[in-house]
Amino acid sequence: MKVPAWLRKSRGWLLPLVLAVLLGSPVLAGADTMKVSLDNQSLYAEPNYSGTPITPVPAGAEVKVVTTSGDWYKVEYQGNTGWMHRGAFAQAQTPQLNLPGMLFGGGVKQTKSDEVALAGKGFTPEVEAGYRQKHPEMNFALVDQVESFKVDNAKLQAFIKEGGLTP
Amino acid sequence: MRRRTMGAMFLALSLTLVWGCAGMDYASVASIAVKTTVKAAEASRPISDSEEYYIGRAVAARVLGTSRLVQDPQLTLYVNEVGETVARKSPRPHTYKGYHFAVLDSSEPNAFACPGGLIFVTKGLVVMCGNEDELAAVLAHEVAHIANKDGINSISKARWTEVLTTLGTETAKQYAGAGGQLITLFEGSIDDVFKTIVVNGYSRAAEEAADAQAIKTLQKAGYDPGAMAALLAKMMAKKGAGSSGIFKTHPPTGDRLAKVKSETPAATPNKMEAVRTKRFESIKM
Repeated sequence: MKVPAWLRKSRGWLLPLVLAVLLGSPVLAGADTMKVSLDNQSLYAEPNYSGTPITPVPAGAEVKVVTTSGDWYKVEYQGNTGWMHRGAFAQAQTPQLNLPGMLFGGGVKQTKSDEVALAGKGFTPEVEAGYRQKHPEMNFALVDQVESFKVDNAKLQAFIKEGGLTP
Repeated sequence: MRRRTMGAMFLALSLTLVWGCAGMDYASVASIAVKTTVKAAEASRPISDSEEYYIGRAVAARVLGTSRLVQDPQLTLYVNEVGETVARKSPRPHTYKGYHFAVLDSSEPNAFACPGGLIFVTKGLVVMCGNEDELAAVLAHEVAHIANKDGINSISKARWTEVLTTLGTETAKQYAGAGGQLITLFEGSIDDVFKTIVVNGYSRAAEEAADAQAIKTLQKAGYDPGAMAALLAKMMAKKGAGSSGIFKTHPPTGDRLAKVKSETPAATPNKMEAVRTKRFESIKM
């Protein structure tokens, strides 16, 4: 195959430049298909839980990731396109390779104050921690207890069936 | 040719170092600049699902700072099963960390929906319900407040604007501790929500919208949609109605009951209702 003249001339610097771009890219994303690991998930029209779900997505289903926005993944599932929160993929992390990090060490360590402000979420666990320190009378231990209570999905389905309710 | 290739390699390595070496000052400055741009774009963003969750946790912690929790696994499981059943048929079946239901140890009939999905119902209100369908009506009504974001929307606009302003200027302050300012704003937000859901009550429009949504949710879940009207009638009949507790935060009025009745579809008698009532009565309180 005949190599164009401009490419012949540029071969000297093209390969190193491509290497630099590849090495310098902050993230090299891996597979674009992810497996849903939590029960009772849904596709949403917008990247938030407020809207009406488009369709349910069971645990174990594989979805194709189109794009991401913060904690939300735009995915395709059975002909539908919608948004799913990353929490639905609790155990399935997209493989990421950060060569610069491996070669030159991690990023600049910021203080907690910076993390609070720069996380993109104004009210974060760090803000809650500060609030708890200021208000020891608030009973967060009981809140944790309430949140730790989970209804088993199989038991809930049996409960719904026994009561003649709609699954 | 070899010299040119070496030069290009040097250039490429330099670019790699600029991109990759996180320890270099201008790399971190560039990173902060990008984040600042993101902040500017966020200038008018609404409260996120995770922020709603942390506000809800703090409101719940405040409620639990003065109220005891019923430590009865059977009752807690039952209330969670009924609550989850209606939540899944609501317009907002999922929240950031899911719905969780708990019973407060108080004989005064009341219920609270903390933003994000933590819902409390008092033992007094569970007893007043008398059957599962009415308990489902209470919980469907509270889930509707969360779906409609009635609690979180009570945070003053001025306060939320200040939160966004604080976030936007933090990059300039760097180590000046604007985190403290965020905690103060968080504190104020908790006060706003607590006053609405516990002290002053929701607006009449918010209550009526939650009633209407609860009726639809009950019907979708397979419960008797008439349970909402039956419960309101009981609340109105209770002596002292309108003075405290749920009668203050969820004022049942003749108009409200009439509206609920007019919105309730005719239900086909369901023989399984007896099964549900039996299991409600089997829970010892």
